[in-house]
Amino acid sequence: MQDALPALVLNSEALPRTAMNDTPPMRAFPASPASDEHLMLAFSKGSAESFNELFLRYKQPIYGFFRRRTADPSHAEELTQEAFLVLLRAASRYEPRALFRTYLYAIAFKILRAHRRKSAFQATFFGQPKSILDPAKQDSTESGLWVRRAVEKLDRIDHEILLLREFEQLSYAEIADLLHLPINTVRSRLFRARTALRNLLEPSAATSPSDAAPSAEPAASSTAAQTIPQKGIRL
Amino acid sequence: MSTTPHPIAPEEIMAHLDGELSPARAHSVSTHLDSCSACQEFAASLRSTSQSLSSWTTGPNPAGLENKVILAASKSPSQTGSLGSNRFPRTHRWRRKQWIGGLAVTAAATVFLFSISIPTLHRSQSVAQKASVLTHLREQKAQVTYGQPVDNARVNSEEEQQDSARLGSTYYSQALSAPAPPASAKALKETTTLQLYAKLQGATGPQQAGPMIARTVSLSIIAKDFDSSRASLDAILVRHNGYSANLSVSTPQDAARSLQASLRIPAPQLPTALAELKALGRAEAENQSGEEVTQQHADLVARLKNSRETEQRLQAILTQRTGKISDVLEVEQEIARVRGEIEQMEAEQKNLEHRVDFATIDLKLCEEYKAKLDSPTPAISTLFHNAAVNGYRNVADTLLSIVLFFAEYGPVLVFWLLVFFIPAWLARRRWRHATAAI
Repeated sequence: MQDALPALVLNSEALPRTAMNDTPPMRAFPASPASDEHLMLAFSKGSAESFNELFLRYKQPIYGFFRRRTADPSHAEELTQEAFLVLLRAASRYEPRALFRTYLYAIAFKILRAHRRKSAFQATFFGQPKSILDPAKQDSTESGLWVRRAVEKLDRIDHEILLLREFEQLSYAEIADLLHLPINTVRSRLFRARTALRNLLEPSAATSPSDAAPSAEPAASSTAAQTIPQKGIRL
Repeated sequence: MSTTPHPIAPEEIMAHLDGELSPARAHSVSTHLDSCSACQEFAASLRSTSQSLSSWTTGPNPAGLENKVILAASKSPSQTGSLGSNRFPRTHRWRRKQWIGGLAVTAAATVFLFSISIPTLHRSQSVAQKASVLTHLREQKAQVTYGQPVDNARVNSEEEQQDSARLGSTYYSQALSAPAPPASAKALKETTTLQLYAKLQGATGPQQAGPMIARTVSLSIIAKDFDSSRASLDAILVRHNGYSANLSVSTPQDAARSLQASLRIPAPQLPTALAELKALGRAEAENQSGEEVTQQHADLVARLKNSRETEQRLQAILTQRTGKISDVLEVEQEIARVRGEIEQMEAEQKNLEHRVDFATIDLKLCEEYKAKLDSPTPAISTLFHNAAVNGYRNVADTLLSIVLFFAEYGPVLVFWLLVFFIPAWLARRRWRHATAAI
């Protein structure tokens, strides 16, 4: 376990966490003190109220997960429904071997990949417009649009790691598990993504990127980030 | 900015801010951050970047989402496997579309197949009915001819045609005009068949005879008592006025005896003879086939008739005209040639009619072998030698088969590979291009 230092991320619909491998704090849900895992186990034994509670906790994070990755809000809604439907179907086979939120995001990520494959197939062989690379055009403020355009310029894997960390608040280990990447690769790519995003959002910082970050004695990680092998899951 | 080397890597500062460091390492990074302004500035920039992402909002959930999912969850988890399509309207609609499309395609394919197959079925049924009637009548005619044991079963083609014409006109007309109704069901069936045949004859013309079918049967029998079976075989041949065109008996030592024969049985008596042959032992294999030679026979008769007329005209020229000796010799040569053709065609005609009148039974009669204790076994060295030779032959045959396969089908395989490679390559390239950005 890590110490309870405050996390960097502050801006997610995901449930707040104080450290890696911690469940959401009880203060967020004073009326329902049970953990996600307990609720899921209760639901697998037939408690519909437990599922309702889980749904109330995760409906916004899961919808946000899909909304940031798809262009059409109706697609995000449909994928959210599908994710919870899969959760319903798999309830009888659920075993609390990992955090529930990791389990749920793994389901969502698989559904998202299937949706992307289907969209790519339709775009390839039927000429339908792809909707997977232009997410979230609606209800945007000017600054939000600027941020999204900057995020879209990132490398695809870096982009995904950044979103999983910043918005879904997954730990490095959870991201590595989800994307089938080494944990050090996740850390390096996250660092590279944040640095690139900072340069994109603050053009003045991009003029001297070497000055943007303090040089370190080992100085190996920053150079290693430039030579990260392209392995792991295809996004 | 400070250019002084730092003991803490920037990634570690980021990991520290994310709460991903071990307590000891986090303590040292925290201590360094307190004293290093450059690192503090870097950490502040990371926080600023992270906070700037907060402007990316996704808005509230759709109104119907909660109702749909909660409704689906109202069933117990054990029943959730059946949830889904009726819980989510979009998915349901999509599946219903698929079902409708599939059913429409299936219905269209069924209608298309029916539209093709029904006329063909009608045609084949009428042809089969006609052939059945003609075969039945031909058998009846043959029974009339061979009702009593006959010594010479040859039927001349002209007689055949005359018989057919007579059958088509006189005999069947008598049958149709018979005053008394058939007394039995069999007679009724025969009368109906005759009526149909007369109708067919009227439709196709009186000159056309029924189909001529040369029947061939292959029969393999395992007999317990070989000697008595052999005697019974001879008796069957005599009883049915048949003969054996070819017969060979093999009596190897330490093995079962066998008999192979090509029997010729009058066609009407074929079923009876077959039944009696099968009673000789256990029928191991049986194969029956029939070759229709009607067209072949009709062509032969027509050519024979033409050749005979030609011969008659040449004979008339030779007797009535006078000319040079060379012309006379040339006419005689032509007569000899035509005569040769006529004899050859007559032989073919006789052979064809004989094949029709006498069915062929290729009989293989094997004895049920019982091993004997005193049978000598070959030496072990001989067995090894034979096994080695057989093994070598098997390897050689296998290699040769592989080479022959590629020699025979290799060009076709290469051709189809070339045909399919380019579209597959283009599709793969397009697919990779589409999925590269995912």
